Amino acid sequence: MISSPPPLRGIRVADFGQVIAAPVTAQMLGWMGAEVVLVETESRFTTRVWPPFADGEFGRDRSGGFNLVNNNKLSCSLDLRQPEALELARDIISVSDVLVENYATGVMENLGLGYDEVKNLRPDIVYMSLGAFGRSGPFKDLTGFHSVINLFSGLAAITGYPGSHPRIMGGLIPDAFAGCYCVLAVLEALYHRSQTGEGQFIEVSMTEALTGMIPEAVMEYSLTGKEPPRVGNRDGRKSPHNVFRCLGEEKWVAVSVETDEQFRALSNVTGNVGWADDVRFATVTARVENQDELEALLQHWTADQEVEAVVAVLQAAGVPAAPVNDSADVLADPHLLDRGFVAHPEHPVAGTRPVLSLPWAADGRRVDDLRAAPTFGQHNQWVLKELLQVPDEEYERLVSSGAIG
Amino acid sequence: MSADVNPGATTPSALAGVRVVEYTETASASFCARLLGDAGADVVKVESPSGDPYRRHGPFPDGNADPDWSGMFLYLNANKRGIGLELQDPTQKAASSELVAKADILIVGGQSADITGQGMRRQVFQHLNPGLIVCAITPFGLSGPNSTYVGDDLTAVAAGGLSFSTPGVPDGVLDPAMEPPLTANTPLAELMTGVLGSAGCVAALLARQFSGQGCEIDLSLQEGVAAVMPYELAHAAYDEAKKRELLGFALMPNVYMPCKDGYVVIMAVLDGHWRSLMRAANDPDWADLEVFSTARDRARNWDALEPLMLEWTMSHTGEEIARLAQERGVPCFPAYTVGQMMESPHVAERGFLQEFTSPGKKSFKLPGHPIRMSATPWRSFRPAPRLGQHTVEVLQDWLGWSESEARSLFDAFGEQASARAVRESKV
Repeated sequence: MISSPPPLRGIRVADFGQVIAAPVTAQMLGWMGAEVVLVETESRFTTRVWPPFADGEFGRDRSGGFNLVNNNKLSCSLDLRQPEALELARDIISVSDVLVENYATGVMENLGLGYDEVKNLRPDIVYMSLGAFGRSGPFKDLTGFHSVINLFSGLAAITGYPGSHPRIMGGLIPDAFAGCYCVLAVLEALYHRSQTGEGQFIEVSMTEALTGMIPEAVMEYSLTGKEPPRVGNRDGRKSPHNVFRCLGEEKWVAVSVETDEQFRALSNVTGNVGWADDVRFATVTARVENQDELEALLQHWTADQEVEAVVAVLQAAGVPAAPVNDSADVLADPHLLDRGFVAHPEHPVAGTRPVLSLPWAADGRRVDDLRAAPTFGQHNQWVLKELLQVPDEEYERLVSSGAIG
Repeated sequence: MSADVNPGATTPSALAGVRVVEYTETASASFCARLLGDAGADVVKVESPSGDPYRRHGPFPDGNADPDWSGMFLYLNANKRGIGLELQDPTQKAASSELVAKADILIVGGQSADITGQGMRRQVFQHLNPGLIVCAITPFGLSGPNSTYVGDDLTAVAAGGLSFSTPGVPDGVLDPAMEPPLTANTPLAELMTGVLGSAGCVAALLARQFSGQGCEIDLSLQEGVAAVMPYELAHAAYDEAKKRELLGFALMPNVYMPCKDGYVVIMAVLDGHWRSLMRAANDPDWADLEVFSTARDRARNWDALEPLMLEWTMSHTGEEIARLAQERGVPCFPAYTVGQMMESPHVAERGFLQEFTSPGKKSFKLPGHPIRMSATPWRSFRPAPRLGQHTVEVLQDWLGWSESEARSLFDAFGEQASARAVRESKV
């Protein structure tokens, strides 16, 4: 196969991302071939000083949280409290095609880096602004991390067990998922720019991205005025539809049966041929009605087996089943490794660690050159001297004054 | 349809001129295609005489199972045109191939074996349309040792690692034996993967500008879930997978605490946030104790700190605590129900929810589009199609068929659809 350029060859991204969300966006753009310049300020450190750290040892280049969302980036460390550093940030923006930021509402404007100023520096820039609650509306200034977004958006309200309290989804998904929406938005804007030459301002709110995940709940409430129920792992159209304990500590299998055919297969391979013809379980309506009983029977079957064996037997019979993987299982999953979704770049300080790659493969291709996250200020010389052509003496002066670093 | 969209009906769209054809009965692939339609692509949804199963899913505003008013179908298929094709019929099968020949993007979704079995792979269309981008969204992907596995939303949330990590920080499992890993009451994996699929499609459009060639995008629900969990994965990569029990508080307070009228989340890990929180709590005498001076100290001494904080939270409502904390820039929020969210002034002012009125005059809402673009704003071009609604116009627009040719195909499909409906009603 002839190797063609990656989708974003020639695109430069100025990354003013904080914590998880916008860093995820910029990282994905980097994976697609963009040159991403992460503009970092020590006084605004977030994930760099949060655990987990490599070998449990604190260090700004040792954070797993930082190093998993900043691969394929160049780090340029500027103290944005200083006017000369801000001037350099403006210079970076003026040679960039895309800017991504997720500071609290108003921070970029206060720095003089709002869209109105930036479009004078670079009229065709794609300016991606991601806010917890968005950049307008009465809550626009509220600081919102993932738990707040889960609890506002309605997602936590429909997660949990019947009669119990709302629960928050794991994985900081509001941040990372909103970051994925921003990738789509930036790509659309770049496509538009490729056709028309026109840049634009884009806004995404984390709460809206998440509320978009619960259409049925939104519709039900608007029709009935009743709060949608929390149903644990169940689904009114499928049964069994739950996770079941297997042999070992915290080992579970997820099983989801929709059709009578799948249920007959499950009955056969679990050695319970009679289930499929039992009036309690013969139809999906009956299975849902008697799911307490059915789940207990299935739980009895899985309890003394390895999760891998349960999955293999059920899948061989055409029954949807999967292990409940923890995050270590995901990074070590032979299937995902075979698909090239997990990469192992070498980081100069943290060593070789597994990271995820682009979530899709295009003709088998993901990231041409997956590079580990930068150390703090690792690319100052390249970004400032090579890209911006700051003379050596001037560069040294700015380092001494603290504007750089 | 809703008040906030169509600010100017003539605004340009980002993907104007891009042609998308969709064959799928899954939420992920349907949502993927819908998002491209939201950006102004001309999306044609191909349905069999049985129609997309989401037409039978609901919720149904008027109580009766009207296939044109199933809530999930409306949500997954807005901004598309609909064409009906019976692929067993040679003329209609030929029309289907012609549509794929004219498309920029073909979106398919389902079990991997079915997609390959039905010939919905790029190599099949390579000669017909070398620029074609095929996006296939499947439970476990088109390649790899588990590619033949069947799956759905629940298996994806489990295999992608999200179920194990739910409830997430600051929530947690008190009794692992009684609280298994959890998913949400919504097709989370499908919808999240749909967003990534549409990003993959637009990336492929940009790549095609260099290469002139299409490509096949292979994306799994399992990967779509794992992709949104980098922070969870960082724990496994740098230390060990996070336990489900609330054992390892590394930094505090990052908690979910009872208050006077429900629950409130308090996130004051950064030192500045902690000091502001203590001001919000009226500077209690324990605020300056050395044992609580850093986030790590507060975690180590959480047993002592928790009852002190509870004394404060239990004497206020969630709204009061949130106001006091947020005024000082501390991330803090009461738990909202779906209804409280929908009725909040914030959601109203931003006009995020889209309003519909059913044939039975019931009004209802669905989420709008979360991407707000200044030059190419989102528009609600058209509601989800009725089965085969745009068959005639699509055959004319895309394939240049005459009206009579198109109409005769549409009539043949209509008969097949009615026959199918009669057959299915007897089963």
